[in-house]
Amino acid sequence: MKVASSFTRWFAVVLFGLLLGGAVQAQGNLEVNTPAIATLKQSMQQRHARLAPLYASGAVGLAADGSVALRDAGSVPLAQRGQVNGLIAAENADRAALYREIARANGHPEWESDVRRTFAQRWIDRAQPGWWVQKSGAWVRK
Amino acid sequence: MVWLVLGLLLSALWAGGTWGVQRLALTIGSISNPSISARGVQVRFEHGGGALLAADALRLGGRSWSRLALRCARARLEASVFHCSDGRVAFAGKGLPLTMALEVDLGTGAARAAAGFDGGGRIEVVLAGGGDVRLHATRLAVRDLRRVASLLWEGGLVQFDALDPDGLLDGQLIWSPEAASAKLSATLSEGAFGSADGLLAGEALGLVLNAEASRRDGGWQWQADARWDAGAAYVHPLYLEAGPALQASGVFAAGRLEVRRATARLDGVREVSASGSFDLNAGRAERLLVRFDGVDLAVAGPRWIAPLVLPAQVDRLVFSGSVSAAVEVRGGGLHALDVAFDAAGFGLRGAAGGAGLALGPLAGEAAWSRSRPTRMRVRAEGGRWEKLTLGAFELDARIEAERVAFARTVVPLLDGAVVIEDLVLAREAGHWEGRGGVVVEPVSMRALTEALDLPVMTGVLSAALPGVRASPGAIELEGALVISVFDGYLQATGLRVLEPFGVASHLSADIEARHIDLAQLTETFSFGSMSGFVDADLRGLELARWQPVAFDARIASSAGQYPRRISQRAVQNISALGGAGAVAALQRGLLGLFESFGYREVGLRCALRDGVCMMDGIEGARRADGGFPIVRGGGVPALDVIGYNRRVDWDELVDRLQRVIAENVSPELR
Repeated sequence: MKVASSFTRWFAVVLFGLLLGGAVQAQGNLEVNTPAIATLKQSMQQRHARLAPLYASGAVGLAADGSVALRDAGSVPLAQRGQVNGLIAAENADRAALYREIARANGHPEWESDVRRTFAQRWIDRAQPGWWVQKSGAWVRK
Repeated sequence: MVWLVLGLLLSALWAGGTWGVQRLALTIGSISNPSISARGVQVRFEHGGGALLAADALRLGGRSWSRLALRCARARLEASVFHCSDGRVAFAGKGLPLTMALEVDLGTGAARAAAGFDGGGRIEVVLAGGGDVRLHATRLAVRDLRRVASLLWEGGLVQFDALDPDGLLDGQLIWSPEAASAKLSATLSEGAFGSADGLLAGEALGLVLNAEASRRDGGWQWQADARWDAGAAYVHPLYLEAGPALQASGVFAAGRLEVRRATARLDGVREVSASGSFDLNAGRAERLLVRFDGVDLAVAGPRWIAPLVLPAQVDRLVFSGSVSAAVEVRGGGLHALDVAFDAAGFGLRGAAGGAGLALGPLAGEAAWSRSRPTRMRVRAEGGRWEKLTLGAFELDARIEAERVAFARTVVPLLDGAVVIEDLVLAREAGHWEGRGGVVVEPVSMRALTEALDLPVMTGVLSAALPGVRASPGAIELEGALVISVFDGYLQATGLRVLEPFGVASHLSADIEARHIDLAQLTETFSFGSMSGFVDADLRGLELARWQPVAFDARIASSAGQYPRRISQRAVQNISALGGAGAVAALQRGLLGLFESFGYREVGLRCALRDGVCMMDGIEGARRADGGFPIVRGGGVPALDVIGYNRRVDWDELVDRLQRVIAENVSPELR
């Protein structure tokens, strides 16, 4: 059981890395890497192990604006909803910083919203089957 | 008073058979008392002992229904009392999910009814001849109550449907129309509710409610006390547990609930009091004033404040002391907020585990109002930023709806001060931005380096940063920070702190150092001994967690005539920094013969990227063998130090430098 759980966590982290790597490689100007970007990616990867089960359960979905959102808090035990909300807020703080940093590293801070939009689509395109994503303002299950 | 109006029209229909009445219909007309009235009332006894009690219209309280039918499996009429058991009730053809037993005195209107719900709950209602109503509920499921309500009137309890409430109700309601009073005592057990998105939810709830009301001056004067004694709730983003208790009184009239005074007991708060009015039809607070006195921040801060204010940083926020606050809501929105600080302390631990920023203890008041300018006057007895201790200072600001303008603030720092001038925070395009200026009044380098646990240096640090701009993710400081040190100066410009509160916090700047006395520098850092002066430039310096991660650095001897000597130890150390491949162009044995050497110039360049320092030496002094001179000898005895290894791992270089300084490790020579 423990082995399975560790494998799942490891797999989730690897998958997240591929997702992020894929998103970055998909467009030239998103490939840029800086120590700040590396730190943010590492922080997000570490958090992903805790977020992945929430994506799978539908509690958390990938929003159309490149953030993650508490989609169905009802599927999270009551006492943990506050912690999940904090987890989402921390993830969104990192994501917002990541978009700003990539735009800055390209020498165009004003590209932040473009970077955000591109990443939002990447996250949604590469979400696992069963995860919830936001399309045209509505939540749909992949 | 009970009236039996219109009398009785009794008709008996004999419909075949010899032995008795097949069907008996009793037309009563109407019944009326202060609590209830019915029109077109008729009782029809069926063959087999059953009966149908029907009414064309029924009015109870302020509501009315048509086509009431109570079909009794067994019924009898004794004197003027109608008895019904195993009855099923229907309104306008819609059956209710309950079984009813009824005794009604058709003469006085007195009645006793007991309803057993299909879900297991039970209600008993006693309607006295004088009109008093006594209702007793036993383990009545809220879900059943909602279902009955939806059948009894259009929409039912639709305002609660979004929360899907459930639970078991026990209690008693006494309503006296004559005395115009009502009394309720009720408990809710196994209570639960939940919105579809889960942002509002409660589980295993236990509530106790006692309330009394009496009708006076056209309204219901009421008082109530409630206690939440079991379960937990999530009211996004707050997780709440049982414990709070409430006492309140007020008036209810014309769909408007007036709370004259309410007090509540809340963990971590000495007293909560409130007053206000609510439009129950619109479902919103017209006006609400809530006071929180003696809020213990160590308890309430992590529980109530952090999830609301900085949910992403809940684990990093630190609270101490206490505050009192008053919150005013008007028209459903926040209208005003007053906060008084009493030895309050707030801190944000560093994202990388450092001490971070802390302010306090704070004393004073801050107010905000949507409709008028207000003021904040707070005195901080001190503070801390990482290893630096801040002295006492005053914060004085004028606050308008979405704009805060600070008066000149002087924050003592060691033997100098940080002066913040013309700072204005304003909400623009949905986020907060800040503008102002910062002056650092001279801080001695001795005090600063001691505080930062750095080798002690002399000189002073000062700054004039007239254009400070803060926006989400960045603080930009236009101007210059100047440190006069080692007989020269060091000037930082283009200062920017990026993502200042996140995990990827980093600082960027361009640094220019001129006429730095190498004798003082090498002595300070125990690097051997070197005389002379150097200039240095660090362009595009970027620090993450105070560690350099990128720069283009250049160090070169300053122009001018001055003694230039380098000790044997310093040569060895410079060579050591060059790593494998750095060469002191003297034989090891010969090097050991002299204590110091003359030199003409020194030069070193490093472009740090991705953890690798691309090194170069004195500008324009490349050698045919690929080496790059770092020290060019001059005088007697003279020596050159030549580097060959251009790619140096930065962490390894730093590690080597620390070891050189700390342990006087012998350099690698060849």
